[in-house]
Amino acid sequence: MIEVDGVTVTAGGTTLLPAVTLTVPRGAVLAIRGRNGSGKSTLLGVLAGSRTPTRGTVRIDGADVSPRDRGFRRRVAAMIGLPPMAPDLTVSDHVLLVATTWLDDPREAAELARTVIAELHLTGLGQRFPHELSSGQTQLFGLALVLARPFDVLLLDEPEQRLDPEHVESVIQVLRARRDAGATVIAATHSPALADRLADRTLWLDAAA
Amino acid sequence: MTGPVRAALGIWRARTSRTSRDGAYAVYLALMVALVTVIPGVRAAWLGLTSPEGIAAITAAGAPDAAIAVVAALWAGALLLGRDRGPAVRPPFLTHALATSGLAGAESFRGPVLRAGALVTVLTTATAGLLGAALVGARLAGPLDAAVFLAVGAVVGAVTTVAWLAGQALPRAAVAIAVGVCGLGAATAAAPALRPFTPMGWVGLAYPVAGDPPAVAALTALAALSAALVCAIPTLLNRLRLRELLAQSARWDSATVHAGGMDFSAAVAVYQRRPRLGRRLRAVRGLGRPALVFLVRDAIGAARTPGRLLLGVLAVAGAGAVLALAFTPAAAGWALGAAAGTTLFAGLGPLSDGLRHAASVAAGLPLYGIGDGPLLARHLLFPTVVALLALLTAVLVTSSAAGIPALGPLVGALALGPLALLARVNAALKGPMPPALLAPVPTPVGDLGAAVRMAWAVDGLLLVALSGAAAALVLESPLLLLGAALALLGIGASRWRQRG
Repeated sequence: MIEVDGVTVTAGGTTLLPAVTLTVPRGAVLAIRGRNGSGKSTLLGVLAGSRTPTRGTVRIDGADVSPRDRGFRRRVAAMIGLPPMAPDLTVSDHVLLVATTWLDDPREAAELARTVIAELHLTGLGQRFPHELSSGQTQLFGLALVLARPFDVLLLDEPEQRLDPEHVESVIQVLRARRDAGATVIAATHSPALADRLADRTLWLDAAA
Repeated sequence: MTGPVRAALGIWRARTSRTSRDGAYAVYLALMVALVTVIPGVRAAWLGLTSPEGIAAITAAGAPDAAIAVVAALWAGALLLGRDRGPAVRPPFLTHALATSGLAGAESFRGPVLRAGALVTVLTTATAGLLGAALVGARLAGPLDAAVFLAVGAVVGAVTTVAWLAGQALPRAAVAIAVGVCGLGAATAAAPALRPFTPMGWVGLAYPVAGDPPAVAALTALAALSAALVCAIPTLLNRLRLRELLAQSARWDSATVHAGGMDFSAAVAVYQRRPRLGRRLRAVRGLGRPALVFLVRDAIGAARTPGRLLLGVLAVAGAGAVLALAFTPAAAGWALGAAAGTTLFAGLGPLSDGLRHAASVAAGLPLYGIGDGPLLARHLLFPTVVALLALLTAVLVTSSAAGIPALGPLVGALALGPLALLARVNAALKGPMPPALLAPVPTPVGDLGAAVRMAWAVDGLLLVALSGAAAALVLESPLLLLGAALALLGIGASRWRQRG
């Protein structure tokens, strides 16, 4: 369960995130919506631990947010912007490398990597290098890197970015499968399709402001 | 220049907000840079050439062969350079506007080629002039010999410019031609009988040697070759492809913006070769031991840009050779050590892609199932293994060949290798310039802010040069090496704490 209590972020006298209080039960999907600059990415950053709240507290499964803590890293997967992509690895290599570092059994890691690549329709692009991918393919590759691992909580910032409707649908299916497997998903999004078809609840940050 | 090109350039220049004061400031800046860097550099070169050691080197029996090798390397290098940054480069918008118009490339891009050619020719002529003047000053060559060699320098500059443009216009053929030029240069240097038949051989024949008549025939042959090549410039310009022109223009624009902001790593990264080979090779294998997984992953990743990897290994080996020579009794050990340090730092670049990736992962959200420290440590394995192997082999071979006791060079290499790797880690962890450095630093001699920013921008290179100098003096004053190591460690620890 994720508990956010009165979290606010300000910088230089500007409010980046107005006070937010919410609870997300395990296995639920929360869509965060709002205009540009309303604080969606900032809230995700606070949940992922890359941003320290000015006020308020966040607890994930009863523990504080601490991105350098091994248990926290294991529980929480996040994509806020594209993850770093190794320029000298192909799509298949990199997804497999990520999976290999999370799973002890190499066969299990290979299977997970294959599944994620197939789910995101990257199979035909497995031997491409990152600089050979289109903008939308790069977004799917970023999602594959973040999904090629076990997690309890998944934080995504606009996963639909640069994707056509068909691929947005694929992403919805992939996230639904993770939710069905017990993961909690929190996604900031501008996509009504993604919010309406996936989310159990929607947090409107404009309303919070 | 035709009317339409002149009109387009006129509109382009009219758009800029530069005033005459900006122009005057640019002239002032160029003069100051020349005063502070170029003139001392030329003076140092002159003093070096006219010193007893310099005169001995330029009058040695092998000096004409060395000139042949240098010219062959220069032409081959110009061909290869043209593939990434040729002389026909204009700003991106202007490039697009001119290259997509109906105007011929020979008209649209002649200006930048002529300017680049003039610069190259001035440099080669000045080099030949300095060498000739040094020989005349020492009464080891006549003024006519020196004048002929000066003209040869100018002609070599013209040929270099055409080779540079050829690399840009014929990027695929340029590699084969460059290999051919190197081969021909090596053959000419090795077999004096070939000198009358190759362009670089003509340079060797024109080298001013006391007692020989001025090589007017060699100069004439070179001039004829140069004239023929210069006539090919319009054809080469018309062969420039739009895609290549736009790509080169965008890269140069991006690199100059980064360099202007003193982010030299980003500027260099713009020209980093991207992998195209070895995509079917599996870089990630279930090898059981995580360290082995990363070692193999980095090795295969590096091998996917084989030319870059080879250059890196050669630079590391070259650094080892120079470090070993720094221990010869008559050598300026600290200077050679500093050169070895900077060469080693440069050579480690192509071996450190994994390190840079680990640093960018450490600055962001967790991606891998291992901590930032272990990730960095595992990505250190490949550059460590390759660098130490190449460095120690070169040190041992050079020490043995030069008859230098191997203990000093080995100790120096074992110290310098890890320090250069640490400097690479520091460079990977380096973030954007701290805003505090943008503040002026007023002193009685003026604002030192620019010097402070420059020191920040090249701190890795400076510290690794210091480490190299200290490594060359390790047997006499180990404390200097300790100081360099502590500085590198301190910077690394600070950047590690501030990551992300």
